[in-house]
Amino acid sequence: MIQIEKLKKSFRTEEVETLALNNVNLKVETGEFVAIMGPSGCGKSTLLNIIGMLDNPNEGYYHFDGQEVGGLKENQRTKIRKGNLGFVFQSFNLIDELTVFENVELPLIYLNVKKSEREQKVRQVLERMKIAHREKHFPQQLSGGQQQRVAIARAVVTNPKLILADEPTGNLDSKNGIEVMNLLTELNQEGTTIVMVTHSDRDSHYAHRVINLFDGQIVTESQNRAIGVQL
Amino acid sequence: MFTNYLKIAWRSLLKNKSFTFLNIIGLSIAFGVAILLSMASLFELSYDNFHEYADDVYKIYHSEQNPDGIEATETNAIPFAPALQEDVPGIHKISRYLDDEVLLFYQDKELVIDINWVDPDFFTMFSFPIIEGNTRNPLKKENSIVITQKMATIIFGSTNVIGKTVDFLINGKKQPFTVTGLAKNIPANSSIEFEAVGNFINNPRYEKLKNRWDHSNHEVYIQLQQGMQASQFEKNTRAFTNIRFKDNIEDRKRDGALPDKNGQYIQLHLLPIKDVYFTHYQNGRATVSKVFPYIILGIAALLLFIACVNFMNMSIAKSTARLQEIGMRKSLGAAKKHIFFQFWSESILVFLATLSFGILLSILCLDTFKSLFNTDASFDNTVSLGICIGFILVFMSVTLVAGGYPAFLLSKLGTLQALKGKVQVNGRNKVRDVLMIVQFAIVILLVSGTFVLRGQLQYMKNKDLGFNKEQVISLPLNGKRNSYQVVRLLKETLKSNPNVISITASDNNLGRGRDGSQSTSRLGFDYKDHKVGTHMLVVDHDYLETLDIALLSGRSFDRNFIADSTSVVINEAMARELQEEDPIGKQLEVISDFKHTIIGVMKDYNFKDLNRAIEPMTLFMTNQKQVKYTYIKIAPSTIAHTFDSIKETWQKLEPNATFLGSFLDDNIERTLKKEKTMTTIITSGAAIAITLSCIGLLAISLLVVNQRTKEIGVRKIIGASTVSLLVLLAKDFIKLVIIAFVIMVPIVWWYSNQWLEEYPYRMELSIWVFVSAGVLALSIALITISFGTIKAILQNPVKSLRTE
Repeated sequence: MIQIEKLKKSFRTEEVETLALNNVNLKVETGEFVAIMGPSGCGKSTLLNIIGMLDNPNEGYYHFDGQEVGGLKENQRTKIRKGNLGFVFQSFNLIDELTVFENVELPLIYLNVKKSEREQKVRQVLERMKIAHREKHFPQQLSGGQQQRVAIARAVVTNPKLILADEPTGNLDSKNGIEVMNLLTELNQEGTTIVMVTHSDRDSHYAHRVINLFDGQIVTESQNRAIGVQL
Repeated sequence: MFTNYLKIAWRSLLKNKSFTFLNIIGLSIAFGVAILLSMASLFELSYDNFHEYADDVYKIYHSEQNPDGIEATETNAIPFAPALQEDVPGIHKISRYLDDEVLLFYQDKELVIDINWVDPDFFTMFSFPIIEGNTRNPLKKENSIVITQKMATIIFGSTNVIGKTVDFLINGKKQPFTVTGLAKNIPANSSIEFEAVGNFINNPRYEKLKNRWDHSNHEVYIQLQQGMQASQFEKNTRAFTNIRFKDNIEDRKRDGALPDKNGQYIQLHLLPIKDVYFTHYQNGRATVSKVFPYIILGIAALLLFIACVNFMNMSIAKSTARLQEIGMRKSLGAAKKHIFFQFWSESILVFLATLSFGILLSILCLDTFKSLFNTDASFDNTVSLGICIGFILVFMSVTLVAGGYPAFLLSKLGTLQALKGKVQVNGRNKVRDVLMIVQFAIVILLVSGTFVLRGQLQYMKNKDLGFNKEQVISLPLNGKRNSYQVVRLLKETLKSNPNVISITASDNNLGRGRDGSQSTSRLGFDYKDHKVGTHMLVVDHDYLETLDIALLSGRSFDRNFIADSTSVVINEAMARELQEEDPIGKQLEVISDFKHTIIGVMKDYNFKDLNRAIEPMTLFMTNQKQVKYTYIKIAPSTIAHTFDSIKETWQKLEPNATFLGSFLDDNIERTLKKEKTMTTIITSGAAIAITLSCIGLLAISLLVVNQRTKEIGVRKIIGASTVSLLVLLAKDFIKLVIIAFVIMVPIVWWYSNQWLEEYPYRMELSIWVFVSAGVLALSIALITISFGTIKAILQNPVKSLRTE
């Protein structure tokens, strides 16, 4: 699904150029669950943003589902993102002015899905995330764990091929964190590819494969034997 | 999708209550005021547009070459119009127009009414619809009159008036006139006003002057034939004027007048009826100036601009709080257009709400506005389909720019930038700074404008006019009796009142009295081989004494000198016109073979409006001509009481005439109506501009403080004082005010000078006027910023850091 070769990304300020990713090669197969780890500033989030087509690399190749997407313009990237990719963030990024239902409905609106179909899909996914009873609530009225479940619901409502999670449990207590990771595992088991950035060793154990980044380069790659262990 | 936009817009507005409130208040005021001001302006601009043939109808005026320049005149001799129609091709219709007043009798009623004497073509040239009677040609017969619905109700108590007869007092005799037409009331936007109209040949002076070319007293309107150009017609009149005004032209040549570039000494000009209301004469030509209505429209636009700037700045500044939302939407698949339409629909919602409030505000304030701004504008006489379409287009453009710009900025953001919330759309934003500079420049413009206008108005009010305006009452002699007889009776009756100092009379008023009338008479004659022109005033004894006009040499009129009926008193300007250093004893041949002796020279006094220089004036004391106003000088101690007793005396002497007495200082104030209205408009505009700018500044300073709470806390902990923090937060804004001041002052200075040039008597334009305006703008800005920031500055730094 994802094939990255010799990827480079640098950020330039007025005086300094910082190399965030340097010669990264990465392959993610359909149905895989990959965790990206590393110390702060090693380039994890930059890599995730490029994989999520929120940003473009400076050099190298990025093939998504066989299509080169590394040099696409913003509107082209938006088109590919729609329906193919789902995002889960550490800070949930729910829209405060929209209810739980409306937040989850939003990606379907942008996909021009009919209203009746939207309602059905949103209800299904909310049921699944066990948050249907809160559908009329606004994000501030929910706990952190509930908010992240809504964010996951929003990420999966379009049945994306790939879910990108940026420290999904970073703002949660351990109980809610475990719940969120179990949900992601479940989705993965149903066939959704997941790429997750995490600081947490425990969370990394849910992944099939853990990639360690340091100073913008992949330094180690390891396979997890006990996949999806319920810790 | 759109429902989703509206939903989120509504919730977002509710979430930011204080900003929504400030935005709505500002925009509603701006829309309300803009509607009222535009209405006043459009009403002014609509003057005389309602005539069906407005494009073909003109008023005639003459440019006459004098040795000392060109003079314009609108008045004509009685034979002029028929001769013009006969001699010059191209006239479709023509009508003379004499503004007059007449004493009317109907049953036991006696009324002085305004009447206009016109030719029968009048009603087919102009669109003053006749709703009853002879609708085509109501003035066909002599002694027929047309009256308006309003006058019909005043005279007859109903509008069923056709065929009814009234009597007019003409040349001392009652003459019957029959109502042959009932006209609709005159629209408020008509420069031609009448309540009653009679056939021109019935006017009291017609028989006496019908063949005289040397006596001008009325205006002439013409409608050109289809295809005839005004400029061509003007050319065609040259031969006519050269023949018909031959003697007049010879006199001009003799006096050394130079011809115009076409070799003409007298040139007829056509002034389009649509321009009449906006015309004043300058250097012998009509100057059409629509500056006043456009200034009003300009102020409306400026206020709307300020409110829109507030809206844009607040929307952009506020958007930091929504960067993540934008980023999230983009990552979920929203394209630029989705983001743009979302934010734009929010703006449209705000604009629609504020427009509704604005319309409501304008309806509620309409009456106050009308009296404050001296306008007859109303929704009835300004709203039309075209205006509505124009209004909708303006509204849509405002919404597109003010709402669209922030929406465009936000839609342009990159997904990642927005998600990280790092975009500095709220920081030192250049567009915001430019907009705020323009905003303050407008405030400085309007505030300095207010200072200059008020200064000039005050200067004119306080100027020594050369006569006593505080203690003198002017009273129009609008009764039935012979005017000299009334003055004599007043003198006799009020003699016993110790507070009445002296009484006199003249045939023209000083300033504008409560009868609304203001006129002067001019005459020209030969003196020592050159032509002289002077205003003439017929006065009674004690004129100089009653009005405290200083006598420079000679003497005033004296009852002991019987020959004073052939004596004249002149002013300094007239002495200069005569080119006499010592004019006393010199004789003027005003009428052939009849000499008037100059017995005194008085100091120049302002007998005309203050925007005119003092011209030559000659006082006559002849009882051949009736006086029309009496002047009563009273003691300064019991002014109100004396005024009442004069009123009582008048009502006993003339029980059927309304008492229209007024102090001369009030009369002078009435002549400053234009300046006063302008001052009111600019002052109100300045006040609203300041209020709106303060609203914007307050909102922005609140937002800036909000974003810098942590910085303020840290600075306090390391020892910053309250003042230094205030300076820190205010300096960026103060810089903008100073830039606005520097840009604006030279512009306002130049325009003020241009405007003041129009006044022969003008205030000294001091730099302090502008400095004060700048200081005022700066102080208001500082107070507003302090208001928004002081709470954050005084807050315990520990708390602000915790909040952060």
